Amino acid sequence: MVSDITGFDDKRREVPVEVGAADELAVSEDLEYVETGPARSLRADALRRLRKNKLAVAGLIWIIIVILIAITADLWAPRWLGDPVEIDSTTAAERMLLSPSWDHPFGTDKLGRDVASRVVYGARVSLMVGVLAVAIAVTLGLILGALAAYYGGIWDAIIMRTADVFFAFPYILFAIVLIALLGPGLQNVFIAIGVLGWPSIARVFRSSILSVKENEYVDAARAMGASTRRILIRHIMPNAVAPIIVYATMSVGGAILTEAALSFLGMGVQPPDPSWGNMLDDARSFMLTAPWLMIYPGIAILTTVLAFVLLGDGLRDALDVKLKE
Amino acid sequence: MIKYIARRILQMIPVFIGVTIILFILRSPGVVGGDPVRMITGERAISESLYNQIVERYGLDKPIYVQYATYLNDLVHGDLGTSYQKSRPVSDILLDKFPNTVKLAVAAILIEMFFGIVAGIISAVKRYSFWDVLVTFSTSVLVSLPVFWLGLMLQLLFGLKFKEWGLPYLPLSGMSGSEFPDIVYLIMPAVTLASVSTAYAARIMRSQLLEVMGQDYMRTAAAKGLSSAQVIWGHGMKNAMIPVVTYFGLDLGAMMGGTVLTETVFNWPGVGYEIFLAIGQRDWPIVMGATIIIVFIVMVLNLLVDISYAFLDPRIRYGRQVA
Amino acid sequence: MAPLLEVDDLHMHFFTRDGVVKACDGVTFTLEAGRTLGVVGESGSGKSVTAMTIMRLIPEPPGKVVSGDIRFKGESILAMSEREQRRLRGNRIAMIFQDPMTSLNPVYRIGEQIAEPLRLHKKMTRKEAWAAAVELLRRVGIPQAEERARNYPHEFSGGMRQRAMIAMALACGPDILIADEPTTALDVTIQAQILELMQEIQQRTESAIIMITHDLGVVADMADHIMVMYAGKAVEYGSADEVFYHPLHPYTWGLLDSLPRHDVDDKGALCPIQGQPPSLIHLPPGCAFGPRCAYAGPACRRTVPPLVDIEQGHLSACLFAGDAAFIARYENRVTRAGAGAEVGG
Repeated sequence: MVSDITGFDDKRREVPVEVGAADELAVSEDLEYVETGPARSLRADALRRLRKNKLAVAGLIWIIIVILIAITADLWAPRWLGDPVEIDSTTAAERMLLSPSWDHPFGTDKLGRDVASRVVYGARVSLMVGVLAVAIAVTLGLILGALAAYYGGIWDAIIMRTADVFFAFPYILFAIVLIALLGPGLQNVFIAIGVLGWPSIARVFRSSILSVKENEYVDAARAMGASTRRILIRHIMPNAVAPIIVYATMSVGGAILTEAALSFLGMGVQPPDPSWGNMLDDARSFMLTAPWLMIYPGIAILTTVLAFVLLGDGLRDALDVKLKE
Repeated sequence: MIKYIARRILQMIPVFIGVTIILFILRSPGVVGGDPVRMITGERAISESLYNQIVERYGLDKPIYVQYATYLNDLVHGDLGTSYQKSRPVSDILLDKFPNTVKLAVAAILIEMFFGIVAGIISAVKRYSFWDVLVTFSTSVLVSLPVFWLGLMLQLLFGLKFKEWGLPYLPLSGMSGSEFPDIVYLIMPAVTLASVSTAYAARIMRSQLLEVMGQDYMRTAAAKGLSSAQVIWGHGMKNAMIPVVTYFGLDLGAMMGGTVLTETVFNWPGVGYEIFLAIGQRDWPIVMGATIIIVFIVMVLNLLVDISYAFLDPRIRYGRQVA
Repeated sequence: MAPLLEVDDLHMHFFTRDGVVKACDGVTFTLEAGRTLGVVGESGSGKSVTAMTIMRLIPEPPGKVVSGDIRFKGESILAMSEREQRRLRGNRIAMIFQDPMTSLNPVYRIGEQIAEPLRLHKKMTRKEAWAAAVELLRRVGIPQAEERARNYPHEFSGGMRQRAMIAMALACGPDILIADEPTTALDVTIQAQILELMQEIQQRTESAIIMITHDLGVVADMADHIMVMYAGKAVEYGSADEVFYHPLHPYTWGLLDSLPRHDVDDKGALCPIQGQPPSLIHLPPGCAFGPRCAYAGPACRRTVPPLVDIEQGHLSACLFAGDAAFIARYENRVTRAGAGAEVGG
C-alpha cells in the first residue's frame, strides 16, 4: 500500500483560464508576476502555498495533536481513563463491555479495560511504526537509489532489477508472508514494512538524481574538480529532497495502514498490548453487542492516515512534485 | 509487435527467477538460520526418527543449491509441494480456491471501473463544482480507510443492523447459503475489495481527462463543429482512457494479493483466506505455493497490460516497429 | 448583399481572479469573399482571441463578449443558437492552428480526422468521407495520399501535419479560413511551402482567409488588407500596400523595423521594439503603446487615441497619424538608417 499512496498528478488548480485563450493570458500573467512579485525563495514559496491549502493544514494539525497525545499518554491516560493493559480482576466482571459513558468515553472491552486509553496507547504503536518503518525504507532507498543512479552500470542493473523483483509481489501479500516467516511482533513489522518500502524510494530518488545529473551545473561542478561525494551532497540532494519528503509523508500513512492490517490478522502487535489493528480483531466477536469496540479504533486509523494523505497531497502541490509510477 | 512481446516476455524471466530466489530463501529458514525441521513441526516435541524422516523427505540435508534446483524443477513442473496439514497437493487445493478469488476480484474490478470512471469524469467535466470537491475529498477518505475496517462496518450496518431494524439485509459472510442467491454473497466483499482501488481509479480518470481537455487537439475537434459532448467522448475519452485501462489491468493483479484481508473478514473461501488459515497452521507449502502463483498471475497481467497499451496507443505500436 | 464577415466593435473580456483581461477591446473589420486579411501583432495583442471569438471557441466563463457583434453574411453569429453556431464551425468557417504537432489527435488516423467534418456537416458515409479525405490530402500535396491517410499523426513530419490540418480545414469548402500563426512552429523552408500552398488554395477556391501572424513578412505577399493589433485594439488598418509603404502608426513602424528588409540592404539594422507589451488587466493610461513609443508626447498619456480614417480606408489609432510632419519622421528615419548603412558598408 505504500506504493499505492501515490501516482496521481492532479493538475494544479491555479490556472484561471483553460482552453484557447490561455496562451494570450499567460503573457499578462507573467507580467503581473514580474511587476508585483519579488523573487521569493523556493522554500518560502512552498510554505506559503502549503499554508493556503486548508486540508493540508488540517492534516498537519491533527498529526501534531496525535503526536502530543501519544507522547504525553503516560501522564494522564492511565489516571483519567484507566490502565490500557492491566486487568483489575476485582472489578473486571462488572466493568466488562460497558458502552461509552462519562467515565469511559469510548466504552470498555471484554476484559473491562478502557477503550479510550487503549486507543491512546495504540497511537504510540501506529506513529512509531509509521515513522520508524518509513525511516528504514527511506534510508535503504536513499542509499540504494544513490548507488544505482550515481555509479550506474552493474550497480544500477543489480539494484533496479532487485527492485523490480520486489515490485512483482503484491505489497500486502508480501508483508503478510514476510511476517508469517519472521514471526509476529512489532519489531518484525518495522522490518517488513521498511524492507518492502525501499524499492519505491530508491526509484524516486534514482530518477531525481538522474534528472539532476543531466543538468549542466553538475557537469560544471565536475569540471571544476568537485568530488563525487561533494557533488551528491551539494548539488543533487537539495533537488531530490522534495520528492522524497512528499513520498515519505504519504508512506507514513501507508505504513500505519499496513501495521493495522497485520495486527488485525494477529501478526503484528500481540495482545495484551494495544494497537488499533489488534483492537479491531478483538472487536469482531462483539460486533453487535459492543460496536464501540470497532468504531473508535477504526476512526483513529482513518483520521490519522487521512491526515498524512492530505498533508502529503498538500506538500506535493506546494513543492510541485510529480510522482509517477 | 511480436518482437516487442517477445522482448517483454524475456524481460519477465529474470524477475521471476528473482522472485523464486526470494521465496526460496524465505521458505527455508535454514538458509538464514534456524532449524528447518522446527519450521515444519513448530514447537511440539518429536522423536528423533520422525525428525530424520522429515529431513530426508524434504531433502533438508542436501546443499542449498541442490535444494533450490529441486524447488525450481518442481515449480516448472507445476508441483507446488504437499500441504502439511491436509496431505493434498498444494496445486489441487489452490485450484479449488482460485475460482472463488477470481470471481471476487472480477466483481470488484467491475465495481471499480463503473464508479471510478463515472466519478472521475464528473469530477473532471464539472471541475471545481460541488461534485468535484466531493469526489476529490471522498477519494482521499477512501485511500485512508483500512479495508478490513470498512468490511467490518459494512457487516455491522448491512448485515446486523439492517436485520435488527427489519430492513432488507445482506449475508454476513461466506459465499453461498440457502437464505440468499449466491450473487448476494458477493456484494459486500466485492465492494470492500474495490473501495481503495475505486478511489485511485477516479483520481487517475480525473487527472487524465483534465490533462487531455487542455490539449490542442481538443480545440481542433471543437473547431470542426463538434459539440462539447462529442469532443469529450469522441476525442478526449480515447486518449484519457489509455492510462486508466492499464491501471485496471495492474490493479486486478494487486487485488489478487489484497484479497487476504477482505476474504478473511468475510470468510470468503478463496486463496487469500486459505493463505491466512495456512499461516495459522504453519502450512508453508500452501503459503508459498499460493504466493508464487499470485506473483505469476500479477506478472502475466502486467505483460498483458503492456501489450494492450501498445494496441491502444498507436504511438507505441508503431514506435516499436520502427525501432 | 451583406459582406461575408463583419466584426463590429467586438469586446471579448476574460473575468479572472486577478481582474478583467480585456483581450479583445473594440475590434472592427470587414472581410469580403475571396479576400485575405492579415492580422498582425505580438503575442498577447488579442489577435488569437479575436479569431477564437469568431469561431466561438472561447469558454464562457471566464470569457464574455461584453459588447459588439460578429455577422456572417449579415447574420449575427453571437445571436445564433449553439447548434447553429456549430453548423458554421468547421463548415463555413474553418480554422488552422499554430502547432500542428499537438493539434492533431494522436490516437486517430489522419484520414479519419480529415473525414470527420465531412461526416458531421455533409452527412457523408464513412466510405465517402474517407475517399474525400484522401483526395483532400492529395490536393494539399501529400504524396501517396491513399496510404498516408492511414497513418497516425506521429508518423507525419511537422510540415506534413500542417498540410493535413489545412486539408481538414478545407474539407467542407469553407467561406472563411482562419489561420492562426500557421507557420510559426515550422522550419523556415517548410514555412514558405505552407504559405505557397495557402496562396494556391486561395486562388483555386473562393475562400476568404484571415491570416494571423506576428510576422509582417508572412502576410506581405498574401494579404489584401492588414490589421495591426496592440493590447487588444486595432491600431492600424488598411490595404497591404498602404500599411507596408505608408505606415501610419509608430507600432507598425516598430514591427517593420524589426523585419529583416531586403529592399534596404542594411546588415544589423534590425530595430526591435523596446520593452514588453502591457498587462491587459492594468493598461497604461492613454495610448497603450505610449510607454514603448519613441515618439510619445504628453498628450499620448491623456487620451486613448481613437481609430480614425486618415486617408481613404487607411485607419490609424495614433493621435498624430494625420500630422504629415510626424509621419515624415519615420520616412526620414528609414532613409537615414539606409544611408547610414551605406556609409558604414
